[in-house]
Amino acid sequence: MSVEADQPAAGDERHQEQARLVAAMARGDKRAMAALYDQLAGPLYSLTCRMLGDTAEAQDLTQDIFLQLWRTAPSYEPSRGSVFSWAVTLTRNRAIDRIRMRQRRAEILSTAAPDLQPSGSGGDTDSAATLWLREQGAAVRAALAELPAEQRHAIELAFFGGLTQQEIASRLGEPLGTIKARIRRGLLKLKDRFPTRP
Amino acid sequence: MIPERHEELAALHALGLLGEAERTAFERELATDRELQAFTHTLREAAGALALAAPMRTPPPGLKSRILAACEQAPEPASSQPAPAVPFPTARIIPWAMAAVLAVSTTWFGLKYVSLRAENDSLRTQQRLAEIAHETTRTQLAERSLLAERLISGLGTRLRRSEDLARLKVSALASLAGNTAEARAIAVWDPDQQAGLLTFEKLPATAEHQDYQIWVVDPAYQNPVNGGVFHVTEDGGAALAFRPDQPVTKATAFAISLEKRGGVPKAEGPIVMLGRLPGI
Repeated sequence: MSVEADQPAAGDERHQEQARLVAAMARGDKRAMAALYDQLAGPLYSLTCRMLGDTAEAQDLTQDIFLQLWRTAPSYEPSRGSVFSWAVTLTRNRAIDRIRMRQRRAEILSTAAPDLQPSGSGGDTDSAATLWLREQGAAVRAALAELPAEQRHAIELAFFGGLTQQEIASRLGEPLGTIKARIRRGLLKLKDRFPTRP
Repeated sequence: MIPERHEELAALHALGLLGEAERTAFERELATDRELQAFTHTLREAAGALALAAPMRTPPPGLKSRILAACEQAPEPASSQPAPAVPFPTARIIPWAMAAVLAVSTTWFGLKYVSLRAENDSLRTQQRLAEIAHETTRTQLAERSLLAERLISGLGTRLRRSEDLARLKVSALASLAGNTAEARAIAVWDPDQQAGLLTFEKLPATAEHQDYQIWVVDPAYQNPVNGGVFHVTEDGGAALAFRPDQPVTKATAFAISLEKRGGVPKAEGPIVMLGRLPGI
């Protein structure tokens, strides 16, 4: 299999390429694993850093996630979603498990939630893939910023904080039905505003 | 057109916010609704893209090599492809299928036999217990019937005795002669039996050639009816059952006379004691 990690395609082509990589991993192709790492490690590591607020723990979880992708590659079904969303779902679930297990949710949120701007401490090289991810990240953040604050806040608490519906309602002091409605409206707007599939 | 309720469930599902029951119910609906599937898919992708909103961090340089090294040590991904099927001739299936059917049916009949036998034993035991209970009840009933008969019999006897006593006529005889002033006699008369009982005390002993004779006064006869003769011992007491020699229809009094030995058909000697029957 040919791996072109440093020349990422855009949109659906990128999605299809990642699906091919996972299919190759399912056959034991470790070069495909390396290529997928190059495409997903940045966003997944960033996500774990944001959710856990601890770089050491984020590295540990990122390693676990890629090993899980390696082991479970044969179970991936393209019809159920992109590789990216599959990997993000796995990452979030594992991060939420860790958050709940260590009972550090309040502490992590207080330090991580306000920051939606790119960090300057990344030290990453300006590869094409990195630039593409930066553009995509900026577009997503812009879409989020356009949401009404109450919708954005509910979605961030759910996505990055790993809170349940009831916990969000309790934290924001709003009825549960209101929180559900805000999440629905906010996610519908994001669906329409997000530029291309990462 | 997706209903608002489904839009909400799809959004919550995309963010992993549904509880277990809600998620299962929603995924059941999702499985049969293509439009809802497509909608949920786009929301899931949008939710996934939120990961890009996290501040960009570059993984540490050694992380990739560590992961790839771990993959080297880890077993290769388990293939989800099914093992190649081995052709199995149909002709071979038939005897095996028949044997399987036979084995299953034999087992079923065997289990059924054991089950019915156990049920039969149980019913027999129940029947035997019922018979014993029936027999016990019958015995108890017979005993109680016997007891009841005895009670009824005893009650009847008591009633008869009561009736007898009610039927009896009692008369206290008073002395009429100076030589029998302390004598006391009681005559009990049973009209139905035409018999009586005379008890007396302190009646003077008779001479060798004399007897006392008891008489029943009945208006139906011109003369008292003879009730029989008796002797008196030295202590002057005795009890005498007597029976008149003629039918008495209505006894009104009893009398005792002193007669010659062996008695007389009609009173001749002095009347020493007389007693009336009250209410007669």
